[in-house]
Amino acid sequence: MHPTIRLVNRNLTISLNPGFLVWQVIFPIVYIFVAGFAYTSLIKSVPFGDSHMDYPAFIASGMIGFNIMNSTLVSGIIIWNDRRHGMFEQILVGPFTRANYILSNVYTIAIIGLISAALITLIGYPLFFESVKPNPLTIPFMVFASIVGSILFGSIASIISTRLRSSEGFNVIINTVFLFFAFVSTAFYPAQGAPEPLATAFYLNPLTYLVDIIRAGVFGTFTEFVMLEMLVLLGLAAALFVVAIKLLTKLDL
Amino acid sequence: MSSIVARSLSKSYGDVVAVNGIDLDVKAGHVFGFLGPNGAGKSTTMKLLTTLMPPTNGTIEILGLNAIKHPLEVRKRIGVVIQQPSYEPNLSVEKSLEKYGMMWNIDKKTRKQKADELIDIFDLQEIRKQKNEDLSIGQRRRVQVAREFMHEMDLLFLDEPTVGLDPSARRRLLDFLKNKAKSGLTIFYTTHVLTEAEYLCDEIAVINKGKILAVDTPDQLKSTFGQEKTIKVHLLYRHDNLADLLSNIADCSIDFNTGTDIIIQSGKSELVLSKILQILIENNIAIEDLSAMPTTLEEIFLKMVKDTNAPDN
Repeated sequence: MHPTIRLVNRNLTISLNPGFLVWQVIFPIVYIFVAGFAYTSLIKSVPFGDSHMDYPAFIASGMIGFNIMNSTLVSGIIIWNDRRHGMFEQILVGPFTRANYILSNVYTIAIIGLISAALITLIGYPLFFESVKPNPLTIPFMVFASIVGSILFGSIASIISTRLRSSEGFNVIINTVFLFFAFVSTAFYPAQGAPEPLATAFYLNPLTYLVDIIRAGVFGTFTEFVMLEMLVLLGLAAALFVVAIKLLTKLDL
Repeated sequence: MSSIVARSLSKSYGDVVAVNGIDLDVKAGHVFGFLGPNGAGKSTTMKLLTTLMPPTNGTIEILGLNAIKHPLEVRKRIGVVIQQPSYEPNLSVEKSLEKYGMMWNIDKKTRKQKADELIDIFDLQEIRKQKNEDLSIGQRRRVQVAREFMHEMDLLFLDEPTVGLDPSARRRLLDFLKNKAKSGLTIFYTTHVLTEAEYLCDEIAVINKGKILAVDTPDQLKSTFGQEKTIKVHLLYRHDNLADLLSNIADCSIDFNTGTDIIIQSGKSELVLSKILQILIENNIAIEDLSAMPTTLEEIFLKMVKDTNAPDN
């Protein structure tokens, strides 16, 4: 077995504990079914492109992107724990290169991102099935969003984990950054109708792009703007990935 | 044949020279002890030899391979127990051995068999289902050392492996390592516990301030550097004028706690002893016991480190 695959196997074993899986499923379910239906009395429908959709369908599709982002925290946690518990050094004195280690993290978050997306799509499907417009681009868009989104947010989590030394600092920074991403985005509410500064802030956030691409895939609303968002997301993911690799390569032992 | 050959090995961090042009030769099948005080350059040397970092200068050959050009090939043939604890907190002891075997590409059947074997050897039966995060420091250390034997290797680096172990676990580990060395494994062993080095090692190098001070067998080190003998003369009764009587004799002291012990520490301790005996006889002072204490590796080590730390050095 290739060394990178062996490390992916190990990463999945240490990451996919019952607590993590429950969190990955329960948290979105609460949002989709509690917030989704609770807000229905306040929000009858949400503007989406040229038309409108139910709020539960809107939030369920947003939660796919949210869950992809959340699951990539694993990448930062793996690196952080490996450094903290000596496994980073132990792996690098074993039959592995730094490239193996970095790639194994990328594959791990891509797998977890895909699983998370699939899981929430299944859970949310009853809510947005009426609005779903399956077409040949639906699955490629979803896979693109899952992989590129995982790499982007995984790189951010990795960068944070390489720059911080205290566990308190790591937890505070990672939670603050990811909380900002979650709530200053179009995952929970649309940009249309939001105050101008807030709507602008939404589009400074990569989660907005990720969620827009997922919705375009699920609801068949491909526009030039979505294509532009895909390019921006891809460019940003590539840039952050390069930074993360450089930092990991230089990480002191 | 040598398993490790290092020549003019140096490592600097800016202006700080951590390792300063050292030469090492570790023969295959030997246990090589690497001793030094904190900050002497032991861990940096370990990191250079295990290919974790490149040297600033010098060459390293491990198992006949150029370790600077082919680090991965070297790492495939060595085992390393690093100084800091290394573990996956949420895995059980059994699972962490099994996963480590998987990381080394050991097939499932073999790693199950090896894990069971090591659990027995390292006395881990009672904690085999416990998670690493719930173990004591000593238990974790035992798992860490045991885990390294999940894969085959030609050379093993151990950086203070007995830290946190109780005396029986420590002895068990040393005996296990001795047997492994007998079966052909070369071991590079760093420790602060000099009795361990004396018990286990075929050869010992003492390092301080990034330089090797001496390399030899424990016995040879003692005979070369341990010329200063300690002789203890125990008197039958306490004598108040003893200090005055011996005031002109160098290299001897009186243990004032007991008042009945004279300690001679000198390179010419026999000569000092004969002078003291003469004074004792002239003054009718009775001797109850006379004993010579052999030089320990610890005394040699402390003296060497003290000498190199002296301002002139």
